[in-house]
Amino acid sequence: MKKSYYLFNPVRLSRKDNTLQFTPFDEQGNEAGPCRYIPVETVSDLYVFGSLDANSALYNFLGKHGISAHFFDYYEHYTGSFFAKEYLLAGKMQVAQTRHYTLRNKRVALAQKFIEGAAFNILKNLRYYHNREKDLAASISQIEKYATQISATTEVPELMGLEGNIRQTYYAAFDTIVAGFTMENRSKRPPKNELNVLISFGNMMCYAACLDMIYHTQLNPTISFLHEPGTRRFSLALDLAEIFKPILVDRTIFRVLNKREVQPSDFATDLNGCVLKESGKKTFVKAFEERLKETVKHRTLNKSVSYKHLIKLECYKLSKHVMGIEEYKPFKIWW
Amino acid sequence: MYVILVYDIGEMRVARMLKLCRKYLNWIQNSVFEGEITEVKLKEFMGKAHTIMDLDNDSIILFKSREQRWLDKQIIGVERGPVTNFL
Repeated sequence: MKKSYYLFNPVRLSRKDNTLQFTPFDEQGNEAGPCRYIPVETVSDLYVFGSLDANSALYNFLGKHGISAHFFDYYEHYTGSFFAKEYLLAGKMQVAQTRHYTLRNKRVALAQKFIEGAAFNILKNLRYYHNREKDLAASISQIEKYATQISATTEVPELMGLEGNIRQTYYAAFDTIVAGFTMENRSKRPPKNELNVLISFGNMMCYAACLDMIYHTQLNPTISFLHEPGTRRFSLALDLAEIFKPILVDRTIFRVLNKREVQPSDFATDLNGCVLKESGKKTFVKAFEERLKETVKHRTLNKSVSYKHLIKLECYKLSKHVMGIEEYKPFKIWW
Repeated sequence: MYVILVYDIGEMRVARMLKLCRKYLNWIQNSVFEGEITEVKLKEFMGKAHTIMDLDNDSIILFKSREQRWLDKQIIGVERGPVTNFL
């Protein structure tokens, strides 16, 4: 299987002998250390956290191999992607997807499914920790109550409000699940404390992973159902991420914090907010990557599939729904 | 599938073989490569390798393993080419 590559250190990436040459360099722009080669045939995508020096010849080359590069800024925000030319164009799908967006009842129906899946997976997380001597009964019953209201909504903003309530209750439960860190309120731009940093960072990794999977299907990443399709962003990835965030991101956060893989010393708080240090980023990304690679036995396909592939299967289900082949059922964790 | 590939190729052709291997596998030592590769990619690689090799003089030896974790790898001295996707 092709691998994702994560670039943290300042590097110059270039095309050499039809493969990727990787030269580390220091602040002055001088070469530091020997160059290495990345086998291009094994690269699925690049996640760029450090500074990357590259020229158009490289991007042409990446484009030919269908490798996308995702960029993140110093504050761990997703800033954009280099996408290879769309190779799975399908006008029919585009039209069907747009129609599902413009017809209100069809759009709400889909949006409800996303929230339904998200709420289910959130509850699963909470119940898991509830069974492990963390008292979360109050949050669980509260979210269950919200979840019953999903099907009654008729407007997307109403649904978003409900989703906000669910998340708020859920995040409040983080204090109980993770010992030693406090959540307080969800804060962004910049996140105020350690837990918020990890949530932001993790969500962003999840968006990029979803976007990458959407790219390999015929869906158009800019037309979304739950989130308002804006300009200059791939909002369908945000919709899909809703379902996968509890499983991929939150579980990883609990793991790295409870197992003390990420320590308070991995954060820098001297600024206006809080940021992850290089060491923390690396540990988290590593844990996240392991999570994506983890496999589960799929019940209907009757074979082992990785979490990453589950995202792709979700895209397939969505495309079947918009094409009117099969009704979309959100992914619900079954183990 | 996880493979270790070692080659012994005549001086005239060795540079071409090196470049070809770099596209598919990670370089770990002179004339030694290793990495995760699929059945089909390996076939594709072998096809290309055949065009470079002189079958009477050169050789490639391939060690195959189902998965990386079933390979007990020990490094003594300097690790020249670490295999990682966190750079």
